[in-house]
Order: sequence, then C-alpha cells, then structure tokens
Amino acid sequence: MNWRHFIILLQKEFLLEFRQRYAISGIVLYVFSMIFVVYIASAKADISPKIWNVLFWLVVLFASINAVVKSFVQESGARQLYYYQLAEPVMLLLSKIVYNTLLLMVLSCLSFVTYSVVAGNPVKDAGLFWLTLLLGSLGFSIAFTFISSIAAKANNSATLMAILSFPVILPILLTLTNLSKFALGLMPPLATYDRDIINLLAIDGILVTLTFVLFPFIWKD
Amino acid sequence: MLSLLPLPAAFAQGNRDFMRETGKINVVVAVILVIFLGIVWYLVRLERKLTKLEHQTKDDHEWKN
Amino acid sequence: MWWKTLSVVLVLYALSIGLLIPLKPGVVRVSPETAATGQALSLQVYGYNSFFSKSEPGQIRVWLEYDSSRATAAQTIKVLNDTTLEASFQLPPYLPKGEKSTLLTAIVDHPADGVSLLPNAIKLIQDTAFLKSGATVSSMVSDSAWTLQPIDNLHVIKDFSFPYRNVIYESIRNTYYHVPMWFVLMFLFIASVWYSIRYLGKPDPDFDRKAAGYAEAGLLFGFLGLFTGMVWANYAWGKPWSNDIKQLMTAVALLIYLAYFILRRSFDEPEKGARLAAVYNIFAFASLIPLLYIVPRMFASLHPGATGNPAFGSEDLDNTMRAVFYPSILGWTLLGFWIASLRIRYQRLHDRSHGLD
Repeated sequence: MNWRHFIILLQKEFLLEFRQRYAISGIVLYVFSMIFVVYIASAKADISPKIWNVLFWLVVLFASINAVVKSFVQESGARQLYYYQLAEPVMLLLSKIVYNTLLLMVLSCLSFVTYSVVAGNPVKDAGLFWLTLLLGSLGFSIAFTFISSIAAKANNSATLMAILSFPVILPILLTLTNLSKFALGLMPPLATYDRDIINLLAIDGILVTLTFVLFPFIWKD
Repeated sequence: MLSLLPLPAAFAQGNRDFMRETGKINVVVAVILVIFLGIVWYLVRLERKLTKLEHQTKDDHEWKN
Repeated sequence: MWWKTLSVVLVLYALSIGLLIPLKPGVVRVSPETAATGQALSLQVYGYNSFFSKSEPGQIRVWLEYDSSRATAAQTIKVLNDTTLEASFQLPPYLPKGEKSTLLTAIVDHPADGVSLLPNAIKLIQDTAFLKSGATVSSMVSDSAWTLQPIDNLHVIKDFSFPYRNVIYESIRNTYYHVPMWFVLMFLFIASVWYSIRYLGKPDPDFDRKAAGYAEAGLLFGFLGLFTGMVWANYAWGKPWSNDIKQLMTAVALLIYLAYFILRRSFDEPEKGARLAAVYNIFAFASLIPLLYIVPRMFASLHPGATGNPAFGSEDLDNTMRAVFYPSILGWTLLGFWIASLRIRYQRLHDRSHGLD
C-alpha cells in the first residue's frame, strides 16, 4: 500500500476533470434536462411525496451511471499501461472510487436542489436526507466504478454498463428509497431506520471488499 | 357413454373457471406441463446444437481425408 | 451414473406420490354466510374430500366457534350426501362480549374424517329488534349460552394425506413441482460461482465452461420457477406478480445471469471474456445476498413462513409433505445438474473441434 500513489492518482483525476470541463458540464446539463423532462412529463400535476421519492432516486441513479461510466472508458490503452507500471491496481481503483464518490455527492446535491425547485421540497428530516444522499453516493460510486472497469474492456460499454449494474445496484437502491421515505415522513411513527443504515453500510462493506479482491483480475492484461 | 368422460363434462360447463375446477387441480397440471415443456424445449435446443456440431466435425473429416 | 438414476427415481416419486396422495377432508363453505343472534339457523355445510355418510348420523357434530372456550353446537344434523350436511342451530341471543357482529369458525367432527374447520365461515350479527326500548345489549350480555356445548373429544385421524388449505386446495401439490425450481436455481448458481472462483485461481477453460453451463441451466430453472409461480399465484393470490421476496430474488438473479451471458459474448478474445465474466459472476452473486435481508422488511411475503398469509398457515409443511418435498428438491436438483452436465459436455466438444481448448 503506497498512499503517496493514491494522492497522486487522486490529484490526476481532478486534473483530468478540470482539463475536460465539457464532460462534467455535460453531466450537469444531463441532470438539468432530466429533471426538466420529469417535470414536464408529470404535466404540472401535484407530485405526491411517494412519487417525488421514486422520481428523485431515478434521476440520481441515471445521473450517477452517466457520470461514472466514463471513469475507465475514457482512459486510453497506452495510459492504462502507464498506470499499470506506475501504481498498484488497488490504489488506482481506490482513487477512482474516492473521486467518483465526491463527484456523485456534488451531483446528487445539485439534483436535489434543482429538483426541489421544480417539484417542491417535501423533506421533513433534512439531516437524515443529506445522510442518505451521502451514503447513496458512496454505494453508487463503489458499484458503478467497479462495473465500469469491467464494461470498459468490452466493445459496447455503455449498454453493458447499464445491464451489468442495474441488478447489482438494486439492494442499495431499495435501502436508499426506504431511508429517504423516513426523511420524507412517509413511514409509520414507530418505525426506526437504524437497520437501514446498518444494511447500507454492510452492503457497501461487502462491495468494497469484493471490489478490492476482484479488481486485480480485471486489471491483468 | 361420452358423459362418463370427466373432461368433456368439465369443458361443457363453459361459464365456470376451468383452472379452478375440482379443487384447483388444474393449476397443478398447468405447473407440471410448464416444467416439462420447458425442459423439453431446452433439450431440443441442445440437440440442434449437437447436430450442427456433428455436421461440422463430419465435414472436417471429409476435408482432411 | 448412479445419481442420474437417483434423480429419475426421485422425480418420479415426487410426481406419482405427490399427485396420488389425497387431501385431508375440509370444509369449503357454509350457507348462509350471515345469521342473526337468537335465530333458528339451518346451515348447509359443504365438505371437500369428506365422507359424511360413512359415519353414523349421530356421531357427526358441528360447531360454530367463537374462541377456544366458547362455541355453539348444532342440535340436529342431516346428512344430504358425502359432501353436504344440514346442521340446525338455535343461536344464542347475545354475542359473548356484546359486539355488533363477529366472524365464527365452522368445525365439523366425525369418526370417518376426523375434525375439519373453516375459519371466518359465517358472520353473526347481534339482533337488537327484540330489545325493549331503553335496554342495551351490553347490560344483558352473558356468555353462558356459549359455554354449554364445549368442543371436546375431537377425532384426529392419522393417515398419509396432505393438509387441506382453503383457497389453494389441491394446488398445495405444487409445493413439489414449483418450489424445488427455486432450490435448483440457487444450487446451480452457487455451482456456477464456485467454478468462476476456481477459474480466477487457475485459468483452465474447463472451469469457465462449467461456470457458464451451470449458469445456463440455472437460467432455465429460474424461468420455469418464475412462470410456474405466476400460474400458481394467479389462482391462489389473485394476481401473477406481487413483489414477493422469492419472486424478486429470482427475477434479479435472472437479470444478473442474462447480463452475464451478454458480457461473455462481447469480447473478441475468449480468455478475456471468460475472466471478466467470472469476476462479474462473483461480484453480482454476492451483491444478491443482501436482498435476502432487505426485501422482507419492505414487502410482505405471501410465501409460507411470512405473517399475514391467508393461504398457508404456520403449519404449512407437515410431515407427510416433508416426505415428498425433500426428495423432490433433491431429485429436481440432480436433474438440473444432469442437464447442465450435458450442456458442459457439448461445449467441451464444440471448443475442441474449433481448436479453442
């Protein structure tokens, strides 16, 4: 474990993102358009908190997939070879996961702000909701980063990314929508959400462990 | 004579729900049929693949000889 | 090989015994389904698989049960045929706790069939028309009339038969054909993951063929389980799909393995495809496991073992059913592995003839 490599790789991610500003602008525009489409499609009907919850997480899900898919796809073969010589694969993956987590946090906050402007803000427990957003970004980032490293090796990576990650993301998505139901005050008063948070952390833990065990096999060639 | 056969009698009473006849036994029949047909479908597909492979290997031998 | 013979024997056993053994007698419905207190009620009781005419008319007893210590018994009983009884009641004037109405369980007991019951068979409404003005039911209530004829000396028949359940009736036999599909799917997918792990340890093409072959057979049984489940659910629960944990798990597992096969085929070099597919197989299967803990909290299951299930009670598997159910699981599983092994052997020949081995 060489943490210096990790820092360097993380800096590199930020630098690359800064150089390719059009890519991140594209994702932000994607989020705006999607929320606008959701708003138009609901035909100005009052969106009940239940529907609000579902639509919001769909927006975040699709925005996250599109934001993360490029993280391995964009790297050219020559550059990958260079990283391979430079750093341990685990460090590379870790830097990508951390970077994507930060990116997704920013994106989901942005989605939330935009979404609550057009569709109203039914959130009752703001602290819990922000916590859910953070945990969600973490889980999405781990799963999507890993899947994108598989999909990047194939020819039709955009389609593969979606079909490979949807079944994997389902446990996280279910727990997240449940947690945010608590934040929206949709759950019966006596229900508690501790177990949801523990579940979410446990899933993240399982995924992170597997990711680090399996990633060297993907990175082999 | 025909009335001794239970099946035509069951069909004759058209207004009743066939799947719920005689304690829903027909649901069991349907389930077993689905499983059987599913397995047969898979075996037929596998056999087609095998036939194709057989033809290919036969061609190879002829070509080599 | 011996296990293939065993699979045939066990599946034949499940098919024949599972279909031949009769259901225990039960009560399908009673008529009328509502009555008023104090009424002289003539109740038609419709039995299922019952042999009312085999018992002496005096030996047949019918109760309407309020709770475990309160019931009212029929005074005279007339056997119309093997599956129809006519029981005459003199209903007590008040409900035991002064309710406006309540649901009673019908219980039939006689030596030939033993005891059988129908929960919530009849709705009993408190009659207030006879009350003098000013009098209320609550002041008059006594439950003495309900404890005069206790339910006792029930006949319990011990024979080899499957439990009778309302709503599902004979389709309880699907336990031996539909339910094992889920087990076969799980065993085959576990085998697939196992060979994926071994493939990562040692890139032998044979491990990859096995991982793919077991996954493909697992897909077959997954679809069979899903379709048979939808057929059964449609007639037992009223709709083919109901966000049930086992339905969801199966659906997600099928999505994973369909994606797995698409992933395998999207590489030019077979070795690369095999390796990445093995990685995805392990990753996706492990992420499936948390669903087992999460989903039951969010969706009430209709499958046995869950609360609020009208079709299956707590005793959904009795010993007679176990004697067919467990062999059936083993038989179908072995059959699944047999089919998978054919698929694997085909692939081996195919790869060899194409020079890929």
